[in-house]
Amino acid sequence: MVGEELAVMDASGLRAIGAGLAVGLTGIASGIAEKDIGSAAIGAMAENEALFGKGLILTVIPETIVIFGLVVALLIK
Amino acid sequence: MRLLQKFRNIGKSSQYKGSSNYAYLATRVRAMKSKLVPKETYPRLMNMGISEITRLIEETEYKQDIDKLARTYSGVDLIEHGLNRNLAETFTKLIKISEGEPNYLIIEYLKNYDIWNIKTILRGKYYNASQNEIKEDLVSAGQLSYTFLSELAGKESYSEVISALEGTEYYPILIGYDETNLSDIENNLDKMYYNGLFNVIGESKSKDRKLFAKFIRTEIDIKNINTLFRLKKAGVKQDEIVDLIIDGGLELSTNSIQGLLPLSYDDFIQALNKYSFWDSISDAVGSDTDSLINVETQLKKHSLKSASSFSHVYPLSIVPIMDYIISKRNEVNNLRIIARGKAANLSDEIIMNQLVI
Repeated sequence: MVGEELAVMDASGLRAIGAGLAVGLTGIASGIAEKDIGSAAIGAMAENEALFGKGLILTVIPETIVIFGLVVALLIK
Repeated sequence: MRLLQKFRNIGKSSQYKGSSNYAYLATRVRAMKSKLVPKETYPRLMNMGISEITRLIEETEYKQDIDKLARTYSGVDLIEHGLNRNLAETFTKLIKISEGEPNYLIIEYLKNYDIWNIKTILRGKYYNASQNEIKEDLVSAGQLSYTFLSELAGKESYSEVISALEGTEYYPILIGYDETNLSDIENNLDKMYYNGLFNVIGESKSKDRKLFAKFIRTEIDIKNINTLFRLKKAGVKQDEIVDLIIDGGLELSTNSIQGLLPLSYDDFIQALNKYSFWDSISDAVGSDTDSLINVETQLKKHSLKSASSFSHVYPLSIVPIMDYIISKRNEVNNLRIIARGKAANLSDEIIMNQLVI
């Protein structure tokens, strides 16, 4: 019974789900990671505006996670 | 996440709970700490006159305060008022930028300024000081505003001051004041402050409260040791000391203090060498030392140092904020010592000894 159901599932559909999960989950992960860094950067910038450049760079570093997710998604497709 | 927290807090007293954005607060406070006057500036300040000191601190964080007050005051009074105003503004800012639990803890901690101000006003009235003289020592860093406090300072008698404070938590203690028991009232106010802090610590077992508790209890240790040193040196009797000791120290529990009380001054110093602050004060103490200034400076240094290293251990917690509060207070104290010392023509050596750098 289970085997029959699996057989009717389209392989490309499963790949699309995998790709979606890869991008979606890594997106959430980098969001969580950026939350604290972002608010810390804002805190530092409020006192010293010169830190804007550094703060911005540090804040977007977790973006790499979602980029990896995107790469994996492209590879799967 | 915030939604989850809200659900979790349903049913609990949520008056001072809620989100506490430590990443923001701790980093901002650290940035503020980096703007404190650096160590190297103090020797330079020692070589300056009052007006040069005013100009130098005008180039730092005190600019706004000095500019604003320059019309009303001049010379060393300007520095004094500027420093007090800046301290009050900075601590009020801490309350403004924090939320949730740290906000509540900071407010409780800063209540000692309210108590300080009430004491100052009562003492001022006791010695018939003028409104301006009293205003010189007011630091409105607590919950009572500067305008309200200067109104209090302008009142004719102590009874008017006390009735104006009706409705505050200090009123029940103040009502017992009859112009003869000022020191008792002051002691009671202090005890009330620490009781309040211990209530705060006792009601929740969160990590923050534990760290806060450790911080407060170390502070109590240092206070008690200071009191013991002074009273032992002056040869005050054992039972008179007991009343002045604050309960709840971290290393020096009530029991170990009871053990220290009957000792002579020399034995007392010997008995201290098992505590963590001994290394900092060992050079400064001795039965032959006439003054306790060195010991007290070293103890202050010890508490500053331990607070700052403690804040590196717990970077995202209440500790960096407490560290900032005591560092800022220390900076203002140092600048005031230099300014007042210069105005009184004290020698550089005496001023240097008093500084905690």
